[in-house]
Amino acid sequence: MNLFLALVVAVLFGTGATLLLKPDLFRVVVGVVLIANAASLTVIASGLRRGQAPIHPLIEGEPVSDPLTQAMTLTALIIGFAVTALLLAMVHRVYTTHRSVDLDDLARSERTVEEELERGVPVEQDEAEAEAESEPEAEVSR
Amino acid sequence: MSLLVAPLALLWPAAAVAALADGRRRATGWAAVAVLAAAVVVLAALALRVAADGPVEVVAGGWPADVGIRLRADALGVVLALVSVAVVLAALVHGVISGLSPRLFPALMLFLSVGLTGLFLTGDVFSFYVFFELAMISAYALSSLGGEARMVSSALIFAVVNLLGSFLFLIATAALYRATGTLEMIAVADRARGIDPNTAVVIAVLYFVAFGVKLGLFPFHFWLPSVYGSALPAVTAVLAGALANIGAYGLLRFEAGLLPRELALGGGVLVAIGTVSIIYGAVQAIGRRDAREVLAYSAIGHAGYVLVALGVGGPVALAAAALFTVVNALGKALLFLAVDLRGPLVSGAFAIGAFSVAGVPPFAGFFGKAALFEAGVEAGSAAAVALLFVGGALTFVYLFQIYQHTYWRPGQEQPPAPAGARAVVAAVAAVVLLVGLWPEPLLALSDQAGQALVRMTS
Repeated sequence: MNLFLALVVAVLFGTGATLLLKPDLFRVVVGVVLIANAASLTVIASGLRRGQAPIHPLIEGEPVSDPLTQAMTLTALIIGFAVTALLLAMVHRVYTTHRSVDLDDLARSERTVEEELERGVPVEQDEAEAEAESEPEAEVSR
Repeated sequence: MSLLVAPLALLWPAAAVAALADGRRRATGWAAVAVLAAAVVVLAALALRVAADGPVEVVAGGWPADVGIRLRADALGVVLALVSVAVVLAALVHGVISGLSPRLFPALMLFLSVGLTGLFLTGDVFSFYVFFELAMISAYALSSLGGEARMVSSALIFAVVNLLGSFLFLIATAALYRATGTLEMIAVADRARGIDPNTAVVIAVLYFVAFGVKLGLFPFHFWLPSVYGSALPAVTAVLAGALANIGAYGLLRFEAGLLPRELALGGGVLVAIGTVSIIYGAVQAIGRRDAREVLAYSAIGHAGYVLVALGVGGPVALAAAALFTVVNALGKALLFLAVDLRGPLVSGAFAIGAFSVAGVPPFAGFFGKAALFEAGVEAGSAAAVALLFVGGALTFVYLFQIYQHTYWRPGQEQPPAPAGARAVVAAVAAVVLLVGLWPEPLLALSDQAGQALVRMTS
Protein backbone atom coordinates (compact mmCIF):
# COMPACT_ATOMS: atom_id res chain seq x y z
CA MET A 1 0.00 0.00 0.00
CA ASN A 2 2.80 2.39 0.93
CA LEU A 3 4.65 1.66 -2.29
CA PHE A 4 1.46 2.19 -4.31
CA LEU A 5 0.78 5.55 -2.64
CA ALA A 6 4.41 6.58 -3.10
CA LEU A 7 4.17 5.75 -6.81
CA VAL A 8 0.95 7.74 -7.21
CA VAL A 9 2.47 10.71 -5.37
CA ALA A 10 5.57 10.53 -7.55
CA VAL A 11 3.55 10.41 -10.76
CA LEU A 12 1.31 13.30 -9.66
CA PHE A 13 4.26 15.42 -8.57
CA GLY A 14 6.26 14.65 -11.69
CA THR A 15 3.35 15.44 -14.00
CA GLY A 16 2.70 18.64 -12.09
CA ALA A 17 6.34 19.70 -12.25
CA THR A 18 6.42 19.05 -16.00
CA LEU A 19 3.30 21.13 -16.52
CA LEU A 20 4.79 23.95 -14.44
CA LEU A 21 7.52 24.34 -17.03
CA LYS A 22 5.08 24.91 -19.91
CA PRO A 23 4.62 28.42 -21.25
CA ASP A 24 0.81 28.16 -21.26
CA LEU A 25 -0.48 29.61 -17.97
CA PHE A 26 -3.45 27.25 -17.76
CA ARG A 27 -1.08 24.31 -17.84
CA VAL A 28 0.93 25.97 -15.10
CA VAL A 29 -2.20 26.25 -12.95
CA VAL A 30 -3.06 22.60 -13.60
CA GLY A 31 0.51 21.75 -12.61
CA VAL A 32 0.09 23.55 -9.29
CA VAL A 33 -3.20 21.72 -8.69
CA LEU A 34 -1.52 18.35 -9.34
CA ILE A 35 1.35 19.18 -6.99
CA ALA A 36 -1.15 20.31 -4.35
CA ASN A 37 -2.89 16.96 -4.63
CA ALA A 38 0.41 15.11 -4.47
CA ALA A 39 1.10 16.95 -1.20
CA SER A 40 -2.36 16.12 0.19
CA LEU A 41 -1.91 12.48 -0.71
CA THR A 42 1.48 12.47 1.02
CA VAL A 43 -0.14 13.85 4.15
CA ILE A 44 -2.86 11.21 4.19
CA ALA A 45 -0.35 8.46 3.46
CA SER A 46 1.74 9.56 6.43
CA GLY A 47 -0.92 8.38 8.90
CA LEU A 48 0.57 6.31 11.69
CA ARG A 49 -2.12 3.63 11.78
CA ARG A 50 -4.69 2.13 9.43
CA GLY A 51 -8.05 0.66 10.36
CA GLN A 52 -11.68 1.60 10.77
CA ALA A 53 -12.85 5.17 10.34
CA PRO A 54 -12.33 7.20 13.52
CA ILE A 55 -16.03 8.10 13.95
CA HIS A 56 -17.72 7.73 17.31
CA PRO A 57 -19.35 4.33 17.75
CA LEU A 58 -16.09 2.39 17.37
CA ILE A 59 -15.96 -1.38 17.12
CA GLU A 60 -14.05 -2.62 20.15
CA GLY A 61 -10.72 -4.30 19.54
CA GLU A 62 -10.27 -3.23 15.94
CA PRO A 63 -7.52 -0.78 14.98
CA VAL A 64 -8.54 2.83 14.29
CA SER A 65 -6.98 4.82 11.47
CA ASP A 66 -5.07 7.98 12.34
CA PRO A 67 -7.61 10.85 12.49
CA LEU A 68 -4.99 13.58 12.65
CA THR A 69 -3.68 13.14 9.11
CA GLN A 70 -7.25 13.06 7.79
CA ALA A 71 -8.00 16.39 9.46
CA MET A 72 -4.74 17.79 8.07
CA THR A 73 -5.57 16.55 4.58
CA LEU A 74 -8.98 18.20 4.71
CA THR A 75 -7.33 21.48 5.64
CA ALA A 76 -4.70 21.08 2.93
CA LEU A 77 -7.40 20.33 0.34
CA ILE A 78 -9.29 23.48 1.28
CA ILE A 79 -6.14 25.56 1.06
CA GLY A 80 -5.38 23.98 -2.31
CA PHE A 81 -8.89 24.83 -3.49
CA ALA A 82 -8.53 28.47 -2.39
CA VAL A 83 -5.15 28.71 -4.08
CA THR A 84 -6.55 27.30 -7.33
CA ALA A 85 -9.33 29.85 -7.32
CA LEU A 86 -6.84 32.66 -6.72
CA LEU A 87 -4.51 31.45 -9.47
CA LEU A 88 -7.35 31.16 -11.98
CA ALA A 89 -8.49 34.68 -11.07
CA MET A 90 -4.97 35.95 -11.67
CA VAL A 91 -4.72 34.14 -15.00
CA HIS A 92 -8.02 35.72 -15.95
CA ARG A 93 -6.61 39.15 -15.16
CA VAL A 94 -3.49 38.42 -17.16
CA TYR A 95 -5.77 37.49 -20.04
CA THR A 96 -7.84 40.67 -19.77
CA THR A 97 -4.71 42.85 -19.73
CA HIS A 98 -2.55 41.02 -22.27
CA ARG A 99 -5.15 39.13 -24.33
CA SER A 100 -2.87 36.14 -24.03
CA VAL A 101 -2.05 33.44 -21.52
CA ASP A 102 1.25 32.50 -23.11
CA LEU A 103 4.34 33.31 -21.05
CA ASP A 104 6.42 33.96 -24.17
CA ASP A 105 4.01 36.71 -25.25
CA LEU A 106 4.10 38.19 -21.76
CA ALA A 107 7.88 38.14 -21.69
CA ARG A 108 7.98 39.95 -25.03
CA SER A 109 5.74 42.78 -23.86
CA GLU A 110 7.64 42.97 -20.58
CA ARG A 111 10.91 43.32 -22.46
CA THR A 112 9.55 46.38 -24.23
CA VAL A 113 8.73 47.95 -20.87
CA GLU A 114 12.22 47.18 -19.60
CA GLU A 115 13.88 48.67 -22.65
CA GLU A 116 11.87 51.81 -22.12
CA LEU A 117 13.09 51.93 -18.55
CA GLU A 118 16.70 51.48 -19.62
CA ARG A 119 16.65 54.11 -22.31
CA GLY A 120 14.28 56.51 -20.64
CA VAL A 121 12.29 56.95 -23.86
CA PRO A 122 9.47 54.91 -25.40
CA VAL A 123 10.79 52.21 -27.68
CA GLU A 124 9.39 51.86 -31.16
CA GLN A 125 7.62 48.57 -31.32
CA ASP A 126 7.70 46.21 -34.23
CA GLU A 127 4.39 45.21 -35.69
CA ALA A 128 3.73 42.03 -33.78
CA GLU A 129 4.40 43.69 -30.48
CA ALA A 130 2.34 46.70 -31.38
CA GLU A 131 -0.53 44.39 -32.14
CA ALA A 132 -0.15 42.59 -28.84
CA GLU A 133 -0.02 45.86 -26.95
CA SER A 134 -2.77 47.68 -28.77
CA GLU A 135 -5.51 45.99 -26.82
CA PRO A 136 -7.15 48.43 -24.44
CA GLU A 137 -5.83 48.06 -20.91
CA ALA A 138 -8.52 50.24 -19.42
CA GLU A 139 -10.93 47.39 -18.91
CA VAL A 140 -8.97 45.96 -16.03
CA SER A 141 -11.34 45.85 -13.14
CA ARG A 142 -9.93 47.55 -10.11
CA MET B 1 -8.33 37.17 27.46
CA SER B 2 -4.70 36.33 27.43
CA LEU B 3 -2.17 38.58 25.74
CA LEU B 4 -1.20 35.75 23.42
CA VAL B 5 -4.66 35.22 21.96
CA ALA B 6 -5.56 38.92 21.88
CA PRO B 7 -3.76 39.93 18.66
CA LEU B 8 -5.39 37.10 16.70
CA ALA B 9 -8.81 37.71 18.28
CA LEU B 10 -8.46 41.37 17.38
CA LEU B 11 -7.18 41.03 13.81
CA TRP B 12 -9.11 38.07 12.50
CA PRO B 13 -12.70 39.38 12.88
CA ALA B 14 -11.52 42.84 11.77
CA ALA B 15 -10.04 41.32 8.60
CA ALA B 16 -13.30 39.53 7.83
CA VAL B 17 -15.32 42.71 8.35
CA ALA B 18 -12.87 44.75 6.26
CA ALA B 19 -13.23 42.23 3.43
CA LEU B 20 -16.95 43.02 3.32
CA ALA B 21 -16.49 46.79 3.67
CA ASP B 22 -15.50 49.06 0.82
CA GLY B 23 -11.74 49.57 1.08
CA ARG B 24 -11.79 52.46 -1.38
CA ARG B 25 -13.28 54.67 1.31
CA ARG B 26 -10.81 56.41 3.59
CA ALA B 27 -12.84 55.46 6.68
CA THR B 28 -12.31 51.72 6.09
CA GLY B 29 -8.60 52.28 5.67
CA TRP B 30 -8.30 54.27 8.88
CA ALA B 31 -10.37 51.72 10.80
CA ALA B 32 -7.98 49.01 9.62
CA VAL B 33 -5.05 51.21 10.71
CA ALA B 34 -6.61 51.57 14.18
CA VAL B 35 -7.07 47.81 14.59
CA LEU B 36 -3.56 47.09 13.38
CA ALA B 37 -2.11 49.73 15.71
CA ALA B 38 -3.94 48.11 18.62
CA ALA B 39 -2.47 44.73 17.59
CA VAL B 40 1.03 46.26 17.52
CA VAL B 41 0.52 47.61 21.05
CA VAL B 42 -0.68 44.21 22.30
CA LEU B 43 2.28 42.47 20.64
CA ALA B 44 4.67 44.97 22.21
CA ALA B 45 3.14 44.23 25.64
CA LEU B 46 3.51 40.51 24.93
CA ALA B 47 7.15 41.04 23.93
CA LEU B 48 7.82 42.85 27.21
CA ARG B 49 6.26 40.00 29.13
CA VAL B 50 8.25 37.36 27.23
CA ALA B 51 11.43 39.35 27.85
CA ALA B 52 10.68 39.49 31.56
CA ASP B 53 9.19 36.05 32.32
CA GLY B 54 10.17 33.78 29.43
CA PRO B 55 7.86 32.01 26.95
CA VAL B 56 4.07 32.32 27.25
CA GLU B 57 1.83 29.39 26.29
CA VAL B 58 -1.88 28.84 25.72
CA VAL B 59 -3.58 25.63 24.60
CA ALA B 60 -6.37 26.51 22.20
CA GLY B 61 -9.95 25.56 23.02
CA GLY B 62 -9.28 24.51 26.61
CA TRP B 63 -7.98 21.07 25.58
CA PRO B 64 -5.50 19.19 27.75
CA ALA B 65 -1.91 20.25 27.05
CA ASP B 66 -0.90 17.24 24.91
CA VAL B 67 -4.06 17.13 22.81
CA GLY B 68 -4.89 20.71 21.86
CA ILE B 69 -3.05 23.00 19.50
CA ARG B 70 -0.60 25.10 21.41
CA LEU B 71 0.07 28.78 20.88
CA ARG B 72 3.50 29.64 22.15
CA ALA B 73 5.27 32.99 22.24
CA ASP B 74 9.00 32.79 22.77
CA ALA B 75 11.57 35.53 22.23
CA LEU B 76 12.24 34.76 18.56
CA GLY B 77 8.58 34.49 17.56
CA VAL B 78 7.34 37.50 19.46
CA VAL B 79 10.06 39.86 18.20
CA LEU B 80 9.49 38.85 14.59
CA ALA B 81 5.70 39.09 15.01
CA LEU B 82 6.04 42.57 16.48
CA VAL B 83 8.39 43.82 13.76
CA SER B 84 6.40 42.24 10.92
CA VAL B 85 3.06 43.61 12.07
CA ALA B 86 4.64 47.02 12.70
CA VAL B 87 5.99 47.02 9.13
CA VAL B 88 2.53 46.09 7.82
CA LEU B 89 1.09 48.95 9.88
CA ALA B 90 3.56 51.46 8.43
CA ALA B 91 2.84 50.24 4.91
CA LEU B 92 -0.92 50.38 5.48
CA VAL B 93 -0.75 53.96 6.77
CA HIS B 94 1.48 54.86 3.84
CA GLY B 95 -0.98 53.26 1.41
CA VAL B 96 -4.06 54.88 2.93
CA ILE B 97 -2.45 58.33 3.02
CA SER B 98 -1.22 58.18 -0.55
CA GLY B 99 -4.73 57.25 -1.63
CA LEU B 100 -4.33 53.64 -2.64
CA SER B 101 -7.66 52.75 -4.19
CA PRO B 102 -7.94 48.94 -4.54
CA ARG B 103 -11.05 47.78 -2.75
CA LEU B 104 -9.46 44.89 -0.88
CA PHE B 105 -6.21 46.60 0.14
CA PRO B 106 -7.03 47.12 3.87
CA ALA B 107 -8.64 43.68 4.21
CA LEU B 108 -5.70 41.90 2.59
CA MET B 109 -3.24 43.75 4.81
CA LEU B 110 -5.23 42.64 7.87
CA PHE B 111 -5.38 39.02 6.69
CA LEU B 112 -1.65 39.18 6.06
CA SER B 113 -1.09 40.35 9.64
CA VAL B 114 -3.31 37.55 10.98
CA GLY B 115 -1.19 35.04 9.09
CA LEU B 116 2.08 36.58 10.24
CA THR B 117 1.03 36.86 13.89
CA GLY B 118 -0.29 33.32 13.90
CA LEU B 119 2.71 31.69 12.31
CA PHE B 120 5.22 33.41 14.56
CA LEU B 121 3.23 32.57 17.68
CA THR B 122 2.19 28.99 17.07
CA GLY B 123 3.84 25.98 18.65
CA ASP B 124 2.38 23.48 16.21
CA VAL B 125 3.91 22.57 12.87
CA PHE B 126 0.66 22.16 10.98
CA SER B 127 -1.02 25.32 12.23
CA PHE B 128 2.21 27.04 11.20
CA TYR B 129 1.44 25.81 7.67
CA VAL B 130 -2.13 27.10 7.81
CA PHE B 131 -1.13 30.58 9.00
CA PHE B 132 1.75 30.59 6.56
CA GLU B 133 -0.61 29.92 3.64
CA LEU B 134 -2.98 32.61 4.91
CA ALA B 135 -0.14 35.13 4.88
CA MET B 136 1.18 33.97 1.51
CA ILE B 137 -2.22 33.98 -0.22
CA SER B 138 -2.82 37.54 1.00
CA ALA B 139 0.62 38.46 -0.31
CA TYR B 140 -0.07 36.97 -3.77
CA ALA B 141 -3.28 38.97 -3.99
CA LEU B 142 -1.61 42.13 -2.67
CA SER B 143 1.25 41.96 -5.14
CA SER B 144 -1.19 41.80 -8.06
CA LEU B 145 -3.05 44.94 -6.92
CA GLY B 146 -2.69 48.10 -8.93
CA GLY B 147 -3.86 47.00 -12.33
CA GLU B 148 -0.68 47.52 -14.31
CA ALA B 149 -0.12 44.72 -16.77
CA ARG B 150 3.27 43.60 -15.55
CA MET B 151 2.17 43.54 -11.90
CA VAL B 152 -0.29 40.73 -12.54
CA SER B 153 2.10 38.58 -14.53
CA SER B 154 4.93 38.94 -12.01
CA ALA B 155 2.48 38.31 -9.17
CA LEU B 156 1.44 35.12 -10.93
CA ILE B 157 5.03 33.92 -11.16
CA PHE B 158 5.54 34.89 -7.51
CA ALA B 159 2.47 32.85 -6.57
CA VAL B 160 3.40 29.75 -8.59
CA VAL B 161 7.00 29.59 -7.36
CA ASN B 162 6.05 30.17 -3.74
CA LEU B 163 3.20 27.66 -3.91
CA LEU B 164 5.71 25.07 -5.00
CA GLY B 165 7.70 26.00 -1.89
CA SER B 166 4.58 25.72 0.28
CA PHE B 167 3.73 22.25 -0.99
CA LEU B 168 7.29 21.10 -0.40
CA PHE B 169 6.83 22.37 3.16
CA LEU B 170 3.62 20.35 3.46
CA ILE B 171 5.32 17.19 2.19
CA ALA B 172 8.20 17.73 4.62
CA THR B 173 5.69 18.20 7.45
CA ALA B 174 3.93 14.95 6.55
CA ALA B 175 7.29 13.19 6.61
CA LEU B 176 8.18 14.78 9.94
CA TYR B 177 4.85 13.64 11.42
CA ARG B 178 5.37 10.15 10.12
CA ALA B 179 8.87 10.03 11.57
CA THR B 180 8.20 11.60 14.97
CA GLY B 181 4.49 10.94 15.51
CA THR B 182 3.72 14.45 16.68
CA LEU B 183 3.28 17.98 15.40
CA GLU B 184 4.08 19.78 18.64
CA MET B 185 7.32 21.69 17.98
CA ILE B 186 8.93 20.99 21.36
CA ALA B 187 8.06 17.29 21.21
CA VAL B 188 9.28 17.13 17.60
CA ALA B 189 12.61 18.67 18.64
CA ASP B 190 12.84 16.10 21.39
CA ARG B 191 12.04 13.07 19.24
CA ALA B 192 13.86 14.20 16.09
CA ARG B 193 17.12 13.04 17.66
CA GLY B 194 15.94 9.47 17.53
CA ILE B 195 14.79 9.25 13.91
CA ASP B 196 16.60 7.62 11.04
CA PRO B 197 19.36 10.01 9.83
CA ASN B 198 18.51 9.47 6.15
CA THR B 199 14.90 10.49 6.69
CA ALA B 200 15.96 13.46 8.78
CA VAL B 201 18.32 14.73 6.08
CA VAL B 202 15.59 14.54 3.42
CA ILE B 203 13.19 16.43 5.69
CA ALA B 204 15.81 19.06 6.49
CA VAL B 205 16.60 19.60 2.80
CA LEU B 206 12.89 19.93 1.94
CA TYR B 207 12.42 22.53 4.67
CA PHE B 208 15.53 24.34 3.49
CA VAL B 209 14.24 24.57 -0.08
CA ALA B 210 10.77 25.62 1.09
CA PHE B 211 12.09 28.49 3.20
CA GLY B 212 14.89 29.36 0.79
CA VAL B 213 12.21 30.14 -1.80
CA LYS B 214 10.39 32.45 0.64
CA LEU B 215 13.55 34.20 1.66
CA GLY B 216 14.76 34.61 -1.93
CA LEU B 217 18.13 32.94 -1.46
CA PHE B 218 20.46 32.73 -4.40
CA PRO B 219 19.43 29.60 -6.30
CA PHE B 220 15.73 30.22 -5.56
CA HIS B 221 15.68 33.97 -6.07
CA PHE B 222 14.46 34.31 -9.66
CA TRP B 223 10.90 35.36 -8.80
CA LEU B 224 12.03 38.13 -6.49
CA PRO B 225 13.35 41.01 -8.63
CA SER B 226 10.32 41.18 -10.92
CA VAL B 227 7.84 41.20 -8.03
CA TYR B 228 9.79 43.71 -5.96
CA GLY B 229 10.27 45.83 -9.05
CA SER B 230 6.64 46.00 -10.10
CA ALA B 231 4.38 45.81 -7.02
CA LEU B 232 3.04 48.95 -5.34
CA PRO B 233 5.53 50.64 -2.97
CA ALA B 234 3.48 49.85 0.15
CA VAL B 235 3.17 46.21 -0.94
CA THR B 236 6.88 45.90 -1.72
CA ALA B 237 7.72 47.23 1.74
CA VAL B 238 5.52 44.52 3.22
CA LEU B 239 7.06 41.80 1.05
CA ALA B 240 10.62 42.81 1.95
CA GLY B 241 10.04 43.87 5.55
CA ALA B 242 7.44 41.40 6.79
CA LEU B 243 7.03 38.44 4.46
CA ALA B 244 10.74 37.73 4.06
CA ASN B 245 10.87 37.26 7.85
CA ILE B 246 8.89 34.04 7.38
CA GLY B 247 11.80 32.52 5.49
CA ALA B 248 14.35 33.53 8.11
CA TYR B 249 12.10 32.43 10.97
CA GLY B 250 11.37 29.11 9.28
CA LEU B 251 15.06 28.39 8.76
CA LEU B 252 15.82 29.27 12.38
CA ARG B 253 12.88 27.37 13.84
CA PHE B 254 12.82 24.26 11.67
CA GLU B 255 16.49 23.78 10.89
CA ALA B 256 18.20 25.19 13.99
CA GLY B 257 15.36 24.44 16.40
CA LEU B 258 14.02 21.08 15.24
CA LEU B 259 16.76 19.44 13.21
CA PRO B 260 20.09 20.78 14.55
CA ARG B 261 22.09 17.62 13.78
CA GLU B 262 21.22 17.85 10.11
CA LEU B 263 21.94 21.58 10.20
CA ALA B 264 25.41 20.93 11.60
CA LEU B 265 25.93 18.32 8.88
CA GLY B 266 25.09 20.84 6.16
CA GLY B 267 26.81 23.82 7.80
CA GLY B 268 29.50 24.12 5.14
CA VAL B 269 26.97 23.98 2.33
CA LEU B 270 24.85 26.67 3.97
CA VAL B 271 27.84 28.97 4.40
CA ALA B 272 28.74 28.41 0.74
CA ILE B 273 25.21 29.14 -0.52
CA GLY B 274 25.00 32.16 1.78
CA THR B 275 28.31 33.50 0.48
CA VAL B 276 27.25 33.07 -3.13
CA SER B 277 23.95 34.81 -2.29
CA ILE B 278 25.74 37.78 -0.71
CA ILE B 279 28.20 38.24 -3.57
CA TYR B 280 25.62 37.63 -6.31
CA GLY B 281 23.10 40.04 -4.76
CA ALA B 282 25.70 42.78 -4.30
CA VAL B 283 27.22 42.45 -7.77
CA GLN B 284 23.82 42.40 -9.47
CA ALA B 285 22.70 45.37 -7.37
CA ILE B 286 25.72 47.43 -8.39
CA GLY B 287 25.00 46.66 -12.03
CA ARG B 288 21.38 47.89 -11.95
CA ARG B 289 20.14 51.40 -12.41
CA ASP B 290 16.48 51.19 -11.41
CA ALA B 291 16.39 51.92 -7.67
CA ARG B 292 13.81 49.27 -6.81
CA GLU B 293 15.67 46.60 -8.72
CA VAL B 294 18.82 47.50 -6.81
CA LEU B 295 16.92 47.10 -3.56
CA ALA B 296 15.48 43.77 -4.74
CA TYR B 297 18.94 42.34 -5.41
CA SER B 298 20.09 43.83 -2.14
CA ALA B 299 17.36 41.78 -0.44
CA ILE B 300 18.76 38.63 -2.07
CA GLY B 301 22.23 39.53 -0.82
CA HIS B 302 21.10 40.21 2.72
CA ALA B 303 19.22 36.91 2.89
CA GLY B 304 22.67 35.33 2.52
CA TYR B 305 23.87 36.71 5.88
CA VAL B 306 21.14 34.82 7.73
CA LEU B 307 22.24 31.65 6.01
CA VAL B 308 25.91 32.19 6.82
CA ALA B 309 25.03 32.72 10.49
CA LEU B 310 22.92 29.57 10.41
CA GLY B 311 25.79 27.63 8.89
CA VAL B 312 28.21 28.86 11.55
CA GLY B 313 25.78 27.68 14.26
CA GLY B 314 25.79 27.99 18.05
CA PRO B 315 23.79 30.31 20.30
CA VAL B 316 25.80 33.43 19.40
CA ALA B 317 25.35 32.97 15.65
CA LEU B 318 21.66 32.09 15.97
CA ALA B 319 21.04 35.17 18.11
CA ALA B 320 22.92 37.19 15.49
CA ALA B 321 20.73 35.73 12.73
CA ALA B 322 17.57 36.68 14.65
CA LEU B 323 18.84 40.19 15.38
CA PHE B 324 19.99 40.70 11.81
CA THR B 325 16.61 39.57 10.46
CA VAL B 326 14.80 42.11 12.63
CA VAL B 327 16.96 45.15 11.86
CA ASN B 328 17.23 44.21 8.19
CA ALA B 329 13.43 44.00 7.96
CA LEU B 330 13.12 47.50 9.39
CA GLY B 331 15.80 48.91 7.10
CA LYS B 332 14.40 47.27 3.95
CA ALA B 333 10.85 48.41 4.73
CA LEU B 334 12.11 51.97 5.18
CA LEU B 335 14.06 51.94 1.91
CA PHE B 336 11.17 50.52 -0.13
CA LEU B 337 8.71 53.00 1.37
CA ALA B 338 11.04 55.93 0.73
CA VAL B 339 12.34 55.09 -2.71
CA ASP B 340 9.42 56.35 -4.80
CA LEU B 341 8.82 59.52 -2.81
CA ARG B 342 10.39 62.95 -3.26
CA GLY B 343 10.61 66.00 -1.09
CA PRO B 344 12.08 67.14 2.21
CA LEU B 345 12.52 64.53 4.96
CA VAL B 346 12.43 61.69 2.44
CA SER B 347 16.02 61.84 1.29
CA GLY B 348 17.15 62.03 4.91
CA ALA B 349 15.01 59.01 5.76
CA PHE B 350 16.41 57.11 2.79
CA ALA B 351 19.94 57.95 3.91
CA ILE B 352 19.16 56.63 7.41
CA GLY B 353 17.81 53.44 5.87
CA ALA B 354 20.86 53.09 3.64
CA PHE B 355 23.26 53.63 6.56
CA SER B 356 21.31 51.12 8.61
CA VAL B 357 21.29 48.42 5.93
CA ALA B 358 25.00 49.00 5.26
CA GLY B 359 25.64 48.63 9.00
CA VAL B 360 26.91 52.04 10.07
CA PRO B 361 26.48 53.16 13.70
CA PRO B 362 24.37 54.63 15.27
CA PHE B 363 21.60 53.05 13.19
CA ALA B 364 19.82 49.77 13.91
CA GLY B 365 21.60 47.81 11.18
CA PHE B 366 24.95 48.28 12.89
CA PHE B 367 23.98 45.92 15.69
CA GLY B 368 22.87 43.25 13.25
CA LYS B 369 26.20 43.37 11.45
CA ALA B 370 28.12 43.65 14.73
CA ALA B 371 26.39 40.54 16.07
CA LEU B 372 27.22 38.61 12.89
CA PHE B 373 30.79 39.84 13.19
CA GLU B 374 30.97 38.61 16.77
CA ALA B 375 29.59 35.24 15.69
CA GLY B 376 32.24 35.01 12.96
CA VAL B 377 35.03 35.85 15.41
CA GLU B 378 33.68 33.42 17.98
CA ALA B 379 33.62 30.63 15.42
CA GLY B 380 37.19 31.58 14.44
CA SER B 381 36.19 31.88 10.81
CA ALA B 382 38.35 34.47 9.04
CA ALA B 383 36.40 33.94 5.81
CA ALA B 384 33.10 34.89 7.45
CA VAL B 385 34.60 38.07 8.88
CA ALA B 386 36.16 39.04 5.55
CA LEU B 387 32.84 38.32 3.83
CA LEU B 388 31.05 40.68 6.21
CA PHE B 389 33.50 43.46 5.43
CA VAL B 390 33.29 42.97 1.66
CA GLY B 391 29.50 42.60 1.74
CA GLY B 392 29.13 45.72 3.85
CA ALA B 393 31.37 47.76 1.57
CA LEU B 394 29.48 46.63 -1.55
CA THR B 395 26.16 47.46 0.15
CA PHE B 396 27.46 50.92 0.86
CA VAL B 397 28.48 51.39 -2.79
CA TYR B 398 25.19 50.39 -4.40
CA LEU B 399 22.92 52.10 -1.89
CA PHE B 400 24.69 55.43 -2.28
CA GLN B 401 24.78 54.94 -6.02
CA ILE B 402 20.99 54.94 -6.02
CA TYR B 403 20.88 57.68 -3.41
CA GLN B 404 22.92 59.87 -5.73
CA HIS B 405 20.83 58.86 -8.74
CA THR B 406 17.50 59.45 -7.05
CA TYR B 407 18.02 62.45 -4.86
CA TRP B 408 20.98 64.38 -6.24
CA ARG B 409 20.66 64.12 -10.00
CA PRO B 410 19.38 67.45 -11.34
CA GLY B 411 16.72 67.83 -13.99
CA GLN B 412 14.15 65.33 -12.74
CA GLU B 413 12.20 67.53 -10.37
CA GLN B 414 9.04 65.84 -9.29
CA PRO B 415 6.37 67.33 -7.08
CA PRO B 416 7.01 66.38 -3.44
CA ALA B 417 4.93 63.51 -2.09
CA PRO B 418 1.97 64.17 0.24
CA ALA B 419 3.12 65.32 3.67
CA GLY B 420 1.42 62.34 5.36
CA ALA B 421 3.37 59.77 3.36
CA ARG B 422 6.60 61.62 4.11
CA ALA B 423 5.69 61.66 7.80
CA VAL B 424 5.25 57.86 7.77
CA VAL B 425 8.67 57.41 6.20
CA ALA B 426 10.18 59.81 8.75
CA ALA B 427 8.51 57.88 11.56
CA VAL B 428 9.97 54.55 10.35
CA ALA B 429 13.37 56.25 10.04
CA ALA B 430 12.99 57.49 13.63
CA VAL B 431 12.30 53.91 14.76
CA VAL B 432 15.44 52.69 12.96
CA LEU B 433 17.44 55.44 14.65
CA LEU B 434 15.86 54.76 18.04
CA VAL B 435 16.60 51.03 17.85
CA GLY B 436 20.17 51.96 16.93
CA LEU B 437 20.54 54.34 19.88
CA TRP B 438 18.84 52.10 22.42
CA PRO B 439 19.33 48.50 21.26
CA GLU B 440 19.37 46.83 24.70
CA PRO B 441 15.79 45.40 24.63
CA LEU B 442 16.31 43.96 21.17
CA LEU B 443 19.75 42.58 22.05
CA ALA B 444 18.36 40.94 25.18
CA LEU B 445 15.47 39.37 23.27
CA SER B 446 17.69 38.07 20.47
CA ASP B 447 20.12 36.57 23.00
CA GLN B 448 17.18 34.88 24.65
CA ALA B 449 16.05 33.63 21.22
CA GLY B 450 19.46 32.16 20.42
CA GLN B 451 19.65 30.43 23.81
CA ALA B 452 16.11 29.10 23.47
CA LEU B 453 16.77 27.63 20.03
CA VAL B 454 19.79 25.78 21.32
CA ARG B 455 18.04 24.67 24.49
CA MET B 456 15.07 23.33 22.54
CA THR B 457 17.21 20.46 21.41
CA SER B 458 19.71 19.80 24.16
